[in-house]
Amino acid sequence: MAILVELVLSGIMVGSIYALVALGWTLIYKCSGVLNLAMGELTLVGAYLSLTYYHWGFPFPVALIAMLITGFILGLVTERLVLRRMIGEPILAVIMITAGLSFFFRALVGFVWGTDTVVFTPPVFPREPVRFFGMVFAEIYLWSFVAAIAMLVIFVWFFQRSRWGLSMQATADDEMAALSLGVSAKWVYALAWAIAFMAAGVGGTLLGNINGLNISVGYLGLLVLPAVVLGGLNSVPGAIVGGLAIGILQNLSDAYVGKLTGGGVKEIAPFVFMVIILLFRPYGLWGWVRIERV
Amino acid sequence: MYLPAGIYHETYAASHAWWQTNFVRAKMALLVALVATLPLYASLYVVSVANITLYTILSALGVQLLIGYCGQITLGHAAFIAVGAYATAMGVLFWGLPYPVAMAVGCLLAGLWSALFGLPSARIKGFYMIMTTMAAQFITVDFIITKYVSRVGGREHYFSLPPGTITIGGWPVDSEVKVYYLASALTLLSLAGMANLLRTRVGRAWIAIRDNDIAAEALGVNVVYYKLLAFFAAGVLGGVAGAVWIPSLFFVSPEHFQLSWSVWLVGVVLIGGLGSLHGVVFGAIFVTVIPELLKFAVIPLSGVYPALTERFLYVKEAAFGLAIILFLLYEPRGLAYRWQQVKNYFNLWPFAY
Repeated sequence: MAILVELVLSGIMVGSIYALVALGWTLIYKCSGVLNLAMGELTLVGAYLSLTYYHWGFPFPVALIAMLITGFILGLVTERLVLRRMIGEPILAVIMITAGLSFFFRALVGFVWGTDTVVFTPPVFPREPVRFFGMVFAEIYLWSFVAAIAMLVIFVWFFQRSRWGLSMQATADDEMAALSLGVSAKWVYALAWAIAFMAAGVGGTLLGNINGLNISVGYLGLLVLPAVVLGGLNSVPGAIVGGLAIGILQNLSDAYVGKLTGGGVKEIAPFVFMVIILLFRPYGLWGWVRIERV
Repeated sequence: MYLPAGIYHETYAASHAWWQTNFVRAKMALLVALVATLPLYASLYVVSVANITLYTILSALGVQLLIGYCGQITLGHAAFIAVGAYATAMGVLFWGLPYPVAMAVGCLLAGLWSALFGLPSARIKGFYMIMTTMAAQFITVDFIITKYVSRVGGREHYFSLPPGTITIGGWPVDSEVKVYYLASALTLLSLAGMANLLRTRVGRAWIAIRDNDIAAEALGVNVVYYKLLAFFAAGVLGGVAGAVWIPSLFFVSPEHFQLSWSVWLVGVVLIGGLGSLHGVVFGAIFVTVIPELLKFAVIPLSGVYPALTERFLYVKEAAFGLAIILFLLYEPRGLAYRWQQVKNYFNLWPFAY
C-alpha cells in the first residue's frame, strides 16, 4: 500500500510538469486553433537554453529567468515568421508546419548541443532523498512539483485577472467579438506562443534536472498530447488534470504491468490509454462537442 | 485535359486511354528506358541514391493514398512499413518461404494491421485520428517490435539478412543494382496500380470521402467500409516498401521505422503535392536528392566549420523541416502543381494563356 501511495505521489509530481507543458499547448490551441506537434521540441530548446545559461555561471534562478526571456522572444519570432501566415489554412497544413518546426528545432538542438546526455553541473538540487511519512523522494521531484504548481497559479492568475489574459480568453471564446472590442488578435496569438515557449522551457528544465538532458527529452514533450486529449483539447483545467493523470498512469503501469512485459510500458501506456479514451469519449473529459453539418 | 488540335477519339476506350498522343507515348517509353538502363552508365553511388528514392516513393504512396485521396491524416505509416519488413524477413529467415511469397504475406499482414488501426476512423477524425495513428506508431514499433519481435530466436536488436538469403527463383538479390531493378519494377507496378485504382468505383469513393465525408455518406458511399479499405490498401503499399527495403540493408532494425520517418513521409507528400501521384515521385526525389547535393555543398565548408559534416544528419533534418515550412508558406500545392504550370507554359507558348 505504501508503494502504491508513493507511486501515485511521484506520479503527481512528474505529472505536474506534464500539466505545465500541456497548459502551454492548450493555450495555443484555444487562442489560435493551432494543433502543435512541436511542443516536445519547445521543451528541448528551453531546457538546453537554461542549461547553457547555467553553465555560463549564472545562478540557477537567473538562468531560468534568462531562459524565460529568450523563450518569450523565440515564441514571438516563431509566431510572426511562420504561424501568422497560416491562419485560416486547412488543418493538415497547420499541423504539418508545426511538424516542420519540430524537425527544424530538434535538428538545431542536435547540431548545436550534440547527442550526448548532459547534466546540470554542479547539480542544482541535492542528490540526497527526502523522507516524509516514511516515503522517500528525490528532492528534485518536490521542487518540480512546487515550481510547476507556482507556474500554474501564476498562469491562472494571469488569465483571470490581467488585461492580457482576459483578452486572450476573449479571443478564444469568440474571435470576431474580441476583435470588435479592440483586442488585437495578432498580439494574442503571439503572446500564446511566447507563453507556450516559456511553459515548455520550465517543464524541460525540470525534466532535465531529473534525469539529465538529451534529445529524447523531446519525447517527454510528446506525452502532453495524450494529456490534452484526455482533458479535451480546449480546456485549461482539463490540461492540468490530464497531465497529472498521465504522470500517475505512467508510474502505475510501469510498476504493475512493466513486470509482466519486461519494461517499455512506461513509454507507450499514455498512448494506449489515449486510444481507449478516444473510443469512448472522443471529446475528452471537458472538450467542446462539435456538431458538424454539410 | 490538354490535347493538341486534331486528335479525335472514335471509341470510349481510346478516350479513356492513359497515353493518347504519340508524343506522350514516346516520352513514357523514354522514361522506362531511362529507368531500365540507369545502372549501365551511372555509378554505384547514383544507384544507391536511386534506391533510397524508390523506397521513399513506395513508402509515401500509402501516405498519399490516405491523406491525398481519402483525407485520413496519418502519422504512423512507418509502423506498417515495419510490419511488412519484419514479416518478410521472418518469413524468409524462420519459415523458409521464398522471398516473393514472404513479401505477399508481409503485405497482407501490414494491410490487416493498418486496417485494425484504421478502425477508430469510424468514429473520430481530424486531430483525434492523427493521435490514433501516432499511437499505432508507438504501440507497433516501440513496443511490439522492439520488445517482442526483435527478440524472436534469441536475437537482441535486429535481424541480419546476410547477402544471398533473399533470392527470387534462385537468383540472389545481393547487390545494389539487383535491388534497384526489383525496387523500380515494383515502384512502376504500384504507381500504375494506384493510378488505375483511383479511376474505379473505389477510388472515386475515397475522393468523395476526402472532399466531404458527410456528403459522401448522404450519397450512399459506405464511409466506414471505404475508409477501412483505404487503410488496408495503404498498409499493403507500406508492406511492399518494407519488403523492398530489407534486401538493400542486409538487416532489419526498429530504428529505421521511428515516428520521424512517418512524419518525413507526410512531408514528402506535402512537398510533392497532395492528391497527385506525380507529387509522390517529385517529393521523394526532392527530399532524397537535395540532401545529397547539400552534402557536396558542405564538404568545402568543413575546413572552416567541421561540425557541418560531423553532424550532417542534423543539417539534413533542419533542411527538411525548413523545406516543409517554406513549401507550405509559398507553394502549398507542391511540386506537382509547379510541374503542371511549366507544362502549361510550354503547351501554350508563345501565348500567355
